[in-house]
Amino acid sequence: MSDTKPKTIELRILRYCPSKDAKPAFGSFDVPYTDDMSVLQGLQEIKATLDGSLAFRWSCRMAVCGSCGMMINGTPKLACNTFLRDLAPGPVAIEPLQNFPIERDLVVTVGDFVKKIESIYPYVMPKVPKTIEEGTYLQTPGQMEEYASFADCINCMLCYAACPQFGANPDFIGPGAMALLQRYSSDSRDGGQQKRLDQIRGEDGVWSCTAVGICSEVCPKLVDPANAVNQNKSKSALDFFLSGLRKESVS
Amino acid sequence: MSERRPYLRPQPRTWWAHPPYRAYTIRELCGVALAIYAAILLAGLICLARGPQAFESYRAFLASPLSLVIHLALLVTTLWHMVTWFRILPKTMPKLVWRGKLVPQALMTNAATLVAVICSVGLLATAVVVGAWL
Repeated sequence: MSDTKPKTIELRILRYCPSKDAKPAFGSFDVPYTDDMSVLQGLQEIKATLDGSLAFRWSCRMAVCGSCGMMINGTPKLACNTFLRDLAPGPVAIEPLQNFPIERDLVVTVGDFVKKIESIYPYVMPKVPKTIEEGTYLQTPGQMEEYASFADCINCMLCYAACPQFGANPDFIGPGAMALLQRYSSDSRDGGQQKRLDQIRGEDGVWSCTAVGICSEVCPKLVDPANAVNQNKSKSALDFFLSGLRKESVS
Repeated sequence: MSERRPYLRPQPRTWWAHPPYRAYTIRELCGVALAIYAAILLAGLICLARGPQAFESYRAFLASPLSLVIHLALLVTTLWHMVTWFRILPKTMPKLVWRGKLVPQALMTNAATLVAVICSVGLLATAVVVGAWL
């Protein structure tokens, strides 16, 4: 005879309502679950049946949009590809992403991150612009391999939540934006390398990184942002030594 | 009126002591062990410059049990530093593309570690041979 009693798991969620709470505090929910339910579905179950005021971000439910990043038992993960069955018997601690200001419950402020992404020219800047008549910019599969993993970033910010140096210096450009920078700077069609290097000098650029490497371990898309940051340390150092020889600095 | 009041949780002060950051902390502390070993060698050089008596007392220190324990501990930390350093080596390098395909990071780590082991063994063998010859 099969056990018809539904399984439940305790989710301990860090709650924060800016108009009521002085600081965040844990709230506990017993959620009925099945083996195919993700943490995100658990949160949706709470919002639908237990507490409609619970705030969290989500969209695609399949690790593509990067909206539902949160700390699950202390590790940054996407709620949609983390399953409750793997966390049983619980309790499961669910907190907003570490190192980011909390807006409400599991929702964090993303404005600074978006500004960092905008600052590194996140688009191909052709070396020599072509007209439509001249045709397209060509690339071999080998040339594409050089940046392909960096193009997989979904801006979920898990790498920022895992980075202790970003925690210590919120102005550090951080792993995610550097992965995007590397995606464009290592594109064979691109000519914007120098403009991007100018953006990542100093402590707030690549130099806050101490190669902790956990950013790459928590990345749900295997982007390897640690590789992007550390490649650009060598480039930034070389740029520093060569900067005195460049034409534009002689004046 | 906006009721926004973003709350920033401070980073735990002892983040470096807990997994997954502990391995990183140990790797970096191994660098301190290397600096200590360099200081021991430097002390030898200074003793050499100060004369035969000073160098003899330095050699007596090297032969003491305390010195052997220190050197054994330094050897272990140095080996660990080597292993972990080559583990992060592929993260610091440009991506290698060979015939249109990415070279796996594990292959880079293994190749570099192998070269380091061969060089170390070669150096040790040379030192033993030259030492016996002299």
